[in-house]
Amino acid sequence: MKHVKKMKWFILSLTLILILSACSSSGGDTQSANGGQNGSAGGGIKITLLNSKSEIQPQLEEAAKAFHEANPTISLEIQPVPNGGSPFERASTLYASGNPPTMIMLDTGDVAKFKDRILDLSGEKWNADAVEHALDLTTIDGKNYAFPLAIEGYGFIYNKAVVDKAVGGSFDPSTINTTASLENLFKQIEASGKKALVVSPMDWSLGAHYFSLAYAGQDKDMTKVNAFIDNLRAGKVDLASNKVFNGLMDTFDVMAKYNIDQASPLAGTYERGPELLGKGEVGIWFMGNWAWPQISSFDTANKEYGFLPVPISNNAGDYGNQEISSAVSKRIVIDKEKSTPEQQDAAKKFLDWIVYEQQGQDFLVNKANIIPAFKNITLPAADPLGKSIQDYISRGKSEQSMSDLPADHWANVGASMQKYLAKQSDRAALAKEIEQYWTNVKE
Amino acid sequence: MVTDKGVWSRLRLRLLFTGPTLFAFVAVMIVPFLYGIYLTFTNWDGISTTQSLVGFQNYGAVFKDAEFWKSFGLTLKYVLFTVVFINMLAFLLAYLLTKGLKGQSFFRAGFFLPNLLGGIVLGFIWQFIFNNVLVFLGQKMGIGLFSTSWLSDPNRAFWTLVIVAVWQYAGYMMVIYVAGLTGVPGDILEAASIDGANGWLKMTRMTIPLMVPSFIVCIFLSLQRGFMVYDVNLALTKGGPFKSTELVSMHVYQKAFLSRDYGVGQAEALVLFLIVAVITLLQVYFSKKMEVEA
Repeated sequence: MKHVKKMKWFILSLTLILILSACSSSGGDTQSANGGQNGSAGGGIKITLLNSKSEIQPQLEEAAKAFHEANPTISLEIQPVPNGGSPFERASTLYASGNPPTMIMLDTGDVAKFKDRILDLSGEKWNADAVEHALDLTTIDGKNYAFPLAIEGYGFIYNKAVVDKAVGGSFDPSTINTTASLENLFKQIEASGKKALVVSPMDWSLGAHYFSLAYAGQDKDMTKVNAFIDNLRAGKVDLASNKVFNGLMDTFDVMAKYNIDQASPLAGTYERGPELLGKGEVGIWFMGNWAWPQISSFDTANKEYGFLPVPISNNAGDYGNQEISSAVSKRIVIDKEKSTPEQQDAAKKFLDWIVYEQQGQDFLVNKANIIPAFKNITLPAADPLGKSIQDYISRGKSEQSMSDLPADHWANVGASMQKYLAKQSDRAALAKEIEQYWTNVKE
Repeated sequence: MVTDKGVWSRLRLRLLFTGPTLFAFVAVMIVPFLYGIYLTFTNWDGISTTQSLVGFQNYGAVFKDAEFWKSFGLTLKYVLFTVVFINMLAFLLAYLLTKGLKGQSFFRAGFFLPNLLGGIVLGFIWQFIFNNVLVFLGQKMGIGLFSTSWLSDPNRAFWTLVIVAVWQYAGYMMVIYVAGLTGVPGDILEAASIDGANGWLKMTRMTIPLMVPSFIVCIFLSLQRGFMVYDVNLALTKGGPFKSTELVSMHVYQKAFLSRDYGVGQAEALVLFLIVAVITLLQVYFSKKMEVEA
């Protein structure tokens, strides 16, 4: 009797599990039902965009409204990625719950991971108008999977009012092209009674932005840079004797020496940077053009700011000493799993609207302060930092940012850089930690 | 009543009462757990539509992941200090607040309050205190200990985590201890007084042994919360400076979602689950033996 009882429970639970697993694997069946619901609510087509550039959330919502007015049959909803969350993580959660947005704004390095689930966009008109190299990293087996949304660049941002006073006259950014001239500028700023610079110690800034210059600066030719990365993975690089690495870290030592937060270098926060720079308490901040909205809210320099390159040697002619690092940083991809063809078409229309309609271009450049990745958009950048980057790009003085590094690169290398900044390790230990990271990295 | 009926009608009756709960339990606990175990044998990265079975390779990776064991060691240290301090403080508070002080319900509510705040909010509040308020006071008053941010030093950042956890949970455990203390029969304490026992004797020989059930619950809760802490860790230190305060939950999460190594992350989560389950079961098993009847 007891035996039968046990058996019954076993069968009961087995049935339940079977029912449940049947539910979870029926994604294919529910697709059309779900799509129909989303696709034809109220006679119009409803599409969504997962926005991972939280600083332009209000602008995107406005653009969605404008787009809806121009295309009354399509309504677009903008979903934000929660602050501090990664777009990859959010998008994979949404996919796991069977409810992905129609469009997802991803970081460049993430696109390849999603390639089974997103549309091939090679046939779109804007492919031909994209700026050089903008599509290289999202083209897999000859097919481009992503729409390049924004070019972003970074380097030393200077406050012109402060540096003008320091050099006694109008400051010429092209005079800074060696570590020595940079240090000289720092000295001049300190002599004028201000602090030279603030080093923001966030791991993403030190790891993904600052340290990446050590890879990109290896050679002007990206294939050689990629070969360098491959050698790192294979454990064949001796970083401690690498010229670019040492030059970059020499500059970093100079930065640490003149850092306003020298006493407690890791206590600084991102928010502190734009305030110090905007108020003119420091002359220089290592950051990128996305920081403009924050800087402008403290602006005391009459909107005159610009970029300086990060020098990696004392020879002005070396590659990297006059170049600003920039690349397409955000991409929009279109889901092909759960979206109906109508929704996909509507999403494509939205992308076209950004590139080719006057309203869309206005949103991109003037409202969202984005540097477009398209040749046909001739509007000048709306803010001084964007202008400065556009200027470097147009003069051919741009260095490709490393935008497809492994996903945990910034966190790990950033931690090693923080340790170095806090003087808890030395250069040999830093080189070793980074070599170790690369030999253990997945893929 | 049910004995004479057939198997089916009994099953129906049982399903009527336990069915909905059983269904919910299986759906949200058992199935995901089993599926999670399945994922530990794959090389899934969290998004791709294909995955292949890799056998026990992920478990091998867990044992080779030095960072995992480092953060596990740190978590053990964290659990040790938080469990001891939370329970000491909670018991002390409960003892003081059952003596009939004026306004003691107000104080009880006050100490309980930190529990009502979410861990993330709480983390941000304390981050502000440690980064700005204390540094400001330290510099103004010349207190060297506070003149630089505690969060920028690995060792002190660890203690900020302990301090915040103690502050957050002591009030909660206090409530359980208050219930335990008020449940100790007054007559045996009175009898002990008549026999000449002093306060200390009454406490160690009567009150504490009678309160063993409260201790079991409180230590179990603080153990489990200590091992699983994530929110305060994320909001207060983000694992920094330079990953020195990355507790084990955070490491597992980073492994799965930041390093895109879902299989290894999931395997680490399972290993962690087993370790925590064993530790808490042992704790409950052994402390049950110390229970006494009044």
